[in-house]
Amino acid sequence: MEFLSFLIKRVLWSVLVLVGLSMVIFVIARVVPGDPARMALGPRATPEQVAQLQTELGLDRPIVAQYGRFIEGLTRGDLGRSLLTERPVNDDIRETFAATFELVLCTMVLAMGIGVPLGMIAAYWKDQWPDTAVRFFAIFAAVTPSFFLALLLQILAGYVLHLLPTTGRLPNSMEFEASTTGLLLIDSVIAGRWDVLGEALRHLLLPAIALAAATMGQMARLTRASMIDVSRQDYIEAARAFGIPEWLRVTKYMLRPSFVPPLTIMGLEFASLIGGAFVVEMVFAWPGMAAYGIRTILQKDLNAVMGVVMVSGVFFVLVNLAIDVMVGFVDPRVRIRGRR
Amino acid sequence: MTLTKLMTTSAAVAFMALGTAGLAENVVTMNTVQIFGTIDPAKISDYTDYMAAVNLYDGLISVDSSGNLIPELAESWVVSPDAKEVTFKIRDDAKFTDGTPVEASDVIYSIERLLKINLGPANLFADVLTPGSVTAVDAKTVKFTLAKTFAPFLTTVPAIFILNADAVKPNEGTDDAQGWLATNVAGAGAYSLKSWDRGAEMTITRNPDYYKGFLEGPIDTVHWIITSDEATVKSLAASGELMMTSQFQSPETYKALVDMGRFQMVSQDTGTAFYLKLNTKVAPTDDIHIRRALALATDYATIREVIFPGGVLSTPLPKAFADFHNGDIPEPKFDLEAAKAEIAQSKYAGAPIPITLGYVAGTGFEEEISLLMQSNLEQLGFVVTQAADPWNRITEIAGKVETTPAVNQIFFGPTYPSPDSMFFTQYHSKAAGTWASMEWVNDPEIDGMIDAARATGDTAEQAKIYKTLQAKLVEMQPDVFLLTQTVQHAMDKCLTGFKAVPMQSFDYDFTRYQWTCK
Amino acid sequence: MTDAPLTNAYQNWFRFSRNPTAMIGLVIVVICVMAAILAPHITPFPDHVGAVTNFRARHLPPSSINWFGTDNVGRDIFTRVIFGLRISLLLAVVVLGIAIPVGTILGMAAGYFGGWTEIVIMRVTDIALAIPPLVMALAVAAVLSPDLLHSMLAIASLWWTWHTRMIYSITRQLRTQEFIEAAETLGASKFHILFREILPNCVSAIAVKTSLDCGFVILVGAALSFLGLGIQPPTPDLGTMVAQGASFLPDYWWESVLPGLAILFLALGFNLLGDGLRDLFDVEDVR
Repeated sequence: MEFLSFLIKRVLWSVLVLVGLSMVIFVIARVVPGDPARMALGPRATPEQVAQLQTELGLDRPIVAQYGRFIEGLTRGDLGRSLLTERPVNDDIRETFAATFELVLCTMVLAMGIGVPLGMIAAYWKDQWPDTAVRFFAIFAAVTPSFFLALLLQILAGYVLHLLPTTGRLPNSMEFEASTTGLLLIDSVIAGRWDVLGEALRHLLLPAIALAAATMGQMARLTRASMIDVSRQDYIEAARAFGIPEWLRVTKYMLRPSFVPPLTIMGLEFASLIGGAFVVEMVFAWPGMAAYGIRTILQKDLNAVMGVVMVSGVFFVLVNLAIDVMVGFVDPRVRIRGRR
Repeated sequence: MTLTKLMTTSAAVAFMALGTAGLAENVVTMNTVQIFGTIDPAKISDYTDYMAAVNLYDGLISVDSSGNLIPELAESWVVSPDAKEVTFKIRDDAKFTDGTPVEASDVIYSIERLLKINLGPANLFADVLTPGSVTAVDAKTVKFTLAKTFAPFLTTVPAIFILNADAVKPNEGTDDAQGWLATNVAGAGAYSLKSWDRGAEMTITRNPDYYKGFLEGPIDTVHWIITSDEATVKSLAASGELMMTSQFQSPETYKALVDMGRFQMVSQDTGTAFYLKLNTKVAPTDDIHIRRALALATDYATIREVIFPGGVLSTPLPKAFADFHNGDIPEPKFDLEAAKAEIAQSKYAGAPIPITLGYVAGTGFEEEISLLMQSNLEQLGFVVTQAADPWNRITEIAGKVETTPAVNQIFFGPTYPSPDSMFFTQYHSKAAGTWASMEWVNDPEIDGMIDAARATGDTAEQAKIYKTLQAKLVEMQPDVFLLTQTVQHAMDKCLTGFKAVPMQSFDYDFTRYQWTCK
Repeated sequence: MTDAPLTNAYQNWFRFSRNPTAMIGLVIVVICVMAAILAPHITPFPDHVGAVTNFRARHLPPSSINWFGTDNVGRDIFTRVIFGLRISLLLAVVVLGIAIPVGTILGMAAGYFGGWTEIVIMRVTDIALAIPPLVMALAVAAVLSPDLLHSMLAIASLWWTWHTRMIYSITRQLRTQEFIEAAETLGASKFHILFREILPNCVSAIAVKTSLDCGFVILVGAALSFLGLGIQPPTPDLGTMVAQGASFLPDYWWESVLPGLAILFLALGFNLLGDGLRDLFDVEDVR
């Protein structure tokens, strides 16, 4: 019951944030020097065409009415047309988003899957060499620009060792349409195409590492700190006194509560993950939404850019919602305290 | 004994290779640096557009690497003595990709539609063709009646691609099928569109039933990847995915690809010129002395030898147009002292002179040239601003005098195999307002000479006019004549067939290419 | 608490200087800042900052003359890296110069006044947090023209949120403490309480956060220039140098790797320094 009300509050809150976000984007899109209708039609348009589109878009109406239209368009999933591709922006984003989603998802798995155990190791051997090593790693991971790491990985794995592919999601020669979910890892399994699965994984590895490194360091650091925190708590002392075996103490009684701070921070880190995806996708020629965003920015393709910003924001809010619900599930205190 | 054995073995190997060759596709993956703007034959305008169109559609005639007109859909043509009537005979076996025959009515439909939409190649036929100019003599014969004598007319015909009228008409809608032909192809080309993501790639596949047939070892699939990023090109080449580079990679990339062993460099002189187009209507390049100073402050040898390979360009017309090139004009010199003297004579002398250098963003060699210019110009008292813009932004700012930068790095190659293409599109006031005419010359005398050359069928007379025209343009200095492009590609050693063609990007008609490895 | 300020500062310095990572961080930061300030005097080819070209000396590997080698038009990379530090540091100063005062004031107001002030400020903060700074900078670049100033403003327009959140939580904790209540009973003005009572208690947290943030802002700025939204050529900018050098990988690795290492070095310095300050002041909440 109490969990339900927490959930409702949290969802309402997310909706509010999204409305705010839409306002921000609307304002940015409207402070453009120049006429949105002319920009949408491109340089070859005649004045009559521009006037017609202005009426169509309602640009002659008051700003509040314009915002209403904008919101109405958003709810219908209508983000306007892209100048670059001459297609509806939502079609473009739908196609490219899957690639970004797959990359970011793998990045999160990698960051948590390696970062948390590293933090546990560091906490367990606190102030000994594994701890020092992990702390060093965490600091360097945090301060290495993701594009630089991406380039280094490309040189090392791509050019020097010839281990892994350095561009794209699949080899050009490979025929495969990810039509079910858009995620290669899932669709290839559904289709039973193990060769595609293997190639998709090989292509994913370098970009995911480049993108994950900073978050991985952050996770290791936080896990370490909160494990040490928890280990000082009375109930752990009690468990030790009761002679509960050490492995059980560490994994069961300490891990679950110490998992909360890294999980919460993961949500916030997510914004920088999306930002990082922009550079990493460019370096690895990853056909994702971020690469689409950069291409359209350079072409001054406003609808597309605003679409990308909006979708990034929605993505961020939804992930945070999911994480909050997960945290609320893991740690009952959160539900009572409210959010964070 | 050993010899026989060896022979049998190799025969067996050859046989096996042949067996698999039947199964394996010949895929050519090539990178290109600009996006494909459109595939509608009535709208195609730039080099990249034509690269797709020439493979997806066929015209009545085409052009070979020497600039000669060669048959395509038309097997023969007759020009009337007064050069005002041209009659084409369409091949009996010419058919569209859907199997229906190509007929005179299709040609008429394609041209009427082109004139109505009035974009892309339509400007070639302004005042020359009007609705009704093209008539059917019979189902397989079509006659063009020109409104006035237009000497280069025949050389512009390859720019007209023939649509399948029966396939287009049901999709006309209210916009003459512009919406439908933006993503669909209805022609007689050797290739069909398989996929197209405007920002990223295009894939076309071979039509096995193509009426003209193919050479041995035909290219089954052509896959264009849109990227100018050198790292991506190298990485695609290293992983074996790339077969052919664009012509705009850096020398470092070409070298890296050749070092991989799989690639060879193919290079050819072309009729494409590389200019610094000077906006003659804005400060400071509105002053002839400043324009001359810019020409004298350009380090031609370094550009040609180190930054971008090319030959000497001394007039607006490259030497490739041998009969029309004015060989008496000396090649431009790099002389900073003389440049100083010119500046002293200009109305801007005595104070720092602000100047904007425009170039295509993300193009390495153009940025290097821009830096080279800046370092020389700063010694002469210019205050330089670099303006790097993406290509479609440049096409936009070229539309108005005020937004056109003072100096612009622009390549211009013949859009049809006639000197008229080089002069009309760049210097005639009727063609003003495009990226090809950023000089804004707008000079009645120049217009008159271009028109005079168009109105005569006499080649000697034309040559005389064009030579005077070149002298006049060099005198006016609306451009710095940087170089004639030596086109370069790194190509897989198994891929042959690249030959520069002096018309748009007809050199990327992939029916002319062969995969020679089995 | 009763120590004289001088002794206190001395003690702090003593503790700080015993922390090796913090000291390393401080040394790196001081070296970088000094190098940036003295760039024209300590670099071998100060004129290579502009549009100097020497195509005979392009792509030279690191040597005793060109410590970091030369780039594609023959300029000395070491010189350009040192000058490039200036742009990175400038970016950090401008962004944080806007973000810290704004974030601090809003955070204190939200935490102290509560009610609608709190709701409005914190909700706006949450909305702003939903936009990744890099994405925002890209959107602004699309609307205006892509250059350094616009990128800085875009980053600054979102960066204050982190400071607001931090100051807000500190203020909330302080609000119920005795010395604030005492000041209120004595009739101190709101201004006095915010800036004389609460602010001094936030200083150590701000110091730690600022140091850590310098590193992060520099990284975001470098990413923007890497994507082509930085300062126009020929002014040296580390992110742009990495991007340009990347065209010549792997043969001429120094053209991108060494400027990249410079960014890493600078960010590392601020990070270590921030970590050290955190240990020193014992503030935990700071990211």
